[in-house]
Amino acid sequence: MTTHASMDDPRVTLDEQLGSFEPIPPYPPRTEREQEFYTVADGEMLVNIGPHHPSTHGVLRVVMKLDGERVVDIDPVLGYLHRGVEKLCENADFHHTISYMDPLEYVSSLFCEWPAVMAYEKLLDIKVPRRAEYIRVLTGELNRISSHLLAMGFHALDLGGITPILYSFIERDEMVEMLASITGQRMLFNYFRIGGVNGDLNHEFMSRLGDWMSRATAQVEANQGLLNENEVFVRRNRGVGTIDAQTALKMCWTGPNLRATGVPFDIRRAHPYSVYPELDFDIPTRSEGDSLARYLLRIDEIKQSLRIIDQCLHQMPDGPVMARVPRLMRPRPGRAFATVEAPRGQYSIYAVSDGTDQPFRFRIHDPSFLHLQSFTLLMPGQLLADWMTINASLDPIMGGIDK
Amino acid sequence: MTVMSRAWGRLTLPGKVIFTAIPLLLAVGVALALVVGILGGPIVELASQYGAVLRFLVAATIILVITIPTAFLIIFMEMKIIAFMNLRVGPDRVGPWGTLLSVVHGLKVLVKEDFTPSGADPLIFTLAPVVVYGSSVMTLVVLPFAPGLFAQDFNIGLLYFFAMGGLAVVGLLMAGWSSFNKYSLLGGLRSAAQMVSYEIPLTLSVAGLLLLAGTMSVNQLVANQSGWFTNWYVFQQPLGFVIFFIAVTAEANRTPFDLTEADSEIVAGFATEYSGMRFGFFFFAEYVNVFIVSAMTVALFFGGWNAPFPFPALAILLDPGSLGIWLLLGIAIVPLVGTLLLSLPFLLTRSSMPAWQAIVLGFVLFNVVVIGLLGVWAFVSFDWVAGLLWFLAKTYVFVFTFVWMRATLPRVRIDQLMGFAWKWLMPAALLNLFVTAGAILVVGR
Repeated sequence: MTTHASMDDPRVTLDEQLGSFEPIPPYPPRTEREQEFYTVADGEMLVNIGPHHPSTHGVLRVVMKLDGERVVDIDPVLGYLHRGVEKLCENADFHHTISYMDPLEYVSSLFCEWPAVMAYEKLLDIKVPRRAEYIRVLTGELNRISSHLLAMGFHALDLGGITPILYSFIERDEMVEMLASITGQRMLFNYFRIGGVNGDLNHEFMSRLGDWMSRATAQVEANQGLLNENEVFVRRNRGVGTIDAQTALKMCWTGPNLRATGVPFDIRRAHPYSVYPELDFDIPTRSEGDSLARYLLRIDEIKQSLRIIDQCLHQMPDGPVMARVPRLMRPRPGRAFATVEAPRGQYSIYAVSDGTDQPFRFRIHDPSFLHLQSFTLLMPGQLLADWMTINASLDPIMGGIDK
Repeated sequence: MTVMSRAWGRLTLPGKVIFTAIPLLLAVGVALALVVGILGGPIVELASQYGAVLRFLVAATIILVITIPTAFLIIFMEMKIIAFMNLRVGPDRVGPWGTLLSVVHGLKVLVKEDFTPSGADPLIFTLAPVVVYGSSVMTLVVLPFAPGLFAQDFNIGLLYFFAMGGLAVVGLLMAGWSSFNKYSLLGGLRSAAQMVSYEIPLTLSVAGLLLLAGTMSVNQLVANQSGWFTNWYVFQQPLGFVIFFIAVTAEANRTPFDLTEADSEIVAGFATEYSGMRFGFFFFAEYVNVFIVSAMTVALFFGGWNAPFPFPALAILLDPGSLGIWLLLGIAIVPLVGTLLLSLPFLLTRSSMPAWQAIVLGFVLFNVVVIGLLGVWAFVSFDWVAGLLWFLAKTYVFVFTFVWMRATLPRVRIDQLMGFAWKWLMPAALLNLFVTAGAILVVGR
């Protein structure tokens, strides 16, 4: 090893030789996979993408082994946003944990709160009022639309189209303002409570919602026209990141990504919860299993969510929005598992109670984590630019993956 | 000495600057006067001998200078137009409607740290932006802005244009290689592959046009298209125009072919490691390139500085020399009468406005009217004013098209880019060439 003066600052002496700025871990390979991945053959190079890269959807880091522009192998590196949420939740009382859920999947916060309160309600045997359930479904579907709109916009942004994301944000902004009028927050709502929701629908919410619903369908159609009929966009997506139903099931895919391979699996129908059995909606599927199918499926889901919102508004009963719940909660010792259909797939919480006012064990199951592990299947043989397409179409949120 | 230094110390900074500048300017002025007095004769003689050289030097300097405001204008256009297409407001703080924001951007890159990463090859790293900027500015030399308003008229002007445009790839490759960064390396290689591939359909697309015109001088090509707009080559070479436009989009690295600086893939590519004015050169070169390729499209296919219809010669009607003594009288009286007339509405209707304010307003309005009338007079009297206006108007239509494409289209992938050039554009360009050649054989020019 030779030493040399840094060109940036001659007073600094660098130990490493120039050319050793490779994304190789500073420890000897721990597994066979690491040994294999970080052995670079002739004509190949390792390229480090992230953790601060414009199209990694957060602080994801991937190391790619490239042969020219073609990806030979890929290694996702996680943990840059790890906050220890599960451990935090085990040291907070049941009410507190709900606010820890919000920043997990921060573009669809309500779907992180939902399984947590459902698990606690199971532990405590609380019956949620029907109006509260309807409000949960209504706000949840609004949140699902806003999340899908953002996914569509960022999909285009990662492919170099700068306009759709702003059109998406116009619609999303309307929705977060609506939700802010009842929850008091634009992004991390902290709205669901054990036994109901925090506050009834108010006049501002209803007037904004009615206003938006009257133009929502036309607006979504107009926004998608910019991309669906765009030859460049379609060609970038068709046949990229194709996965068949069997492999997707083996990799534990859920949500829109699984339904884009043709498997009509939706928690709202497969394991019904809340008032979804009373609502009429379809499970859109597509058979191609490529990035374009995943993108188009999200548009179909937006249309179904609009149907659900419409039905919620018509069927919503009067009544209280909170059950009678003790302020200090000491559920009986036991365990509860609750799962919901989040915009990215099956979002589950597993909580164990030991009879105190804190969960004894608290585990979060995030769908994006399982989608992300499929990079090693999808990427080899594709081009560097396809990673942006595949990553955007899988729509991961790093907050939930790193927990 | 102490008295002097105390007096100097009491001066403020502007004072010090003035008292330093005055003697310096005096010295320079005296020296210049001496040089001109002693060497004046030989200089005039040399200038008359090498008039063409002098003309070229002056024109090249002007071209070098006007690239900066051109880039500023196009950067501002891009910011504002894309903002409107995105339903945003866009820049609105610096200057009226944010018009000065790109100037501030220019000043910003000028004062930012000029950073060379360790591991970079300093010489090549420094030279790369110069090559890129130089290549785009050098292509401007053959552009005819108006009748008589061009730097140099080569008989191989178009060939020179393609050659200089192709030089940019050397600079981009230098930047990509010397930056010691893998993103930059990928960007440099992409630019090499892309520009070399698109040179071929680009050159082939105008081959049919050259067969029709029988000349490669851009001036002559523009002059061939005078008269009604049906004389424009776009109507004889529609396929050639489409291929040319697509290929220059790739040559200028504009969306959807901006793979070399794909910010969501290889984070600005060759420019990743650049900062300060070196980045500024890349940035300006991109926008100057947009102007150049738009201007070349206009010159080749849309009649250049020609009006779309034979413009009537109105110069006789508005020749101020024919007015004689009335011109002098007019100069004396018209401002007074005009100012009073234009301030009359304010004097009569705005009772709250003081009279002096109304008169000042009237004078400002009068100046606006006079400048407008002078513009009209210049437009009808001088060929080059009219030509320049037509040329710029057409060019900025194409600049707008580039901006529009950037707001609308995503980026293509590298294999699609190469496949498009070799599988579609080149056969189409060859077809265009053969059909044109056949038509000339059968019908004649």
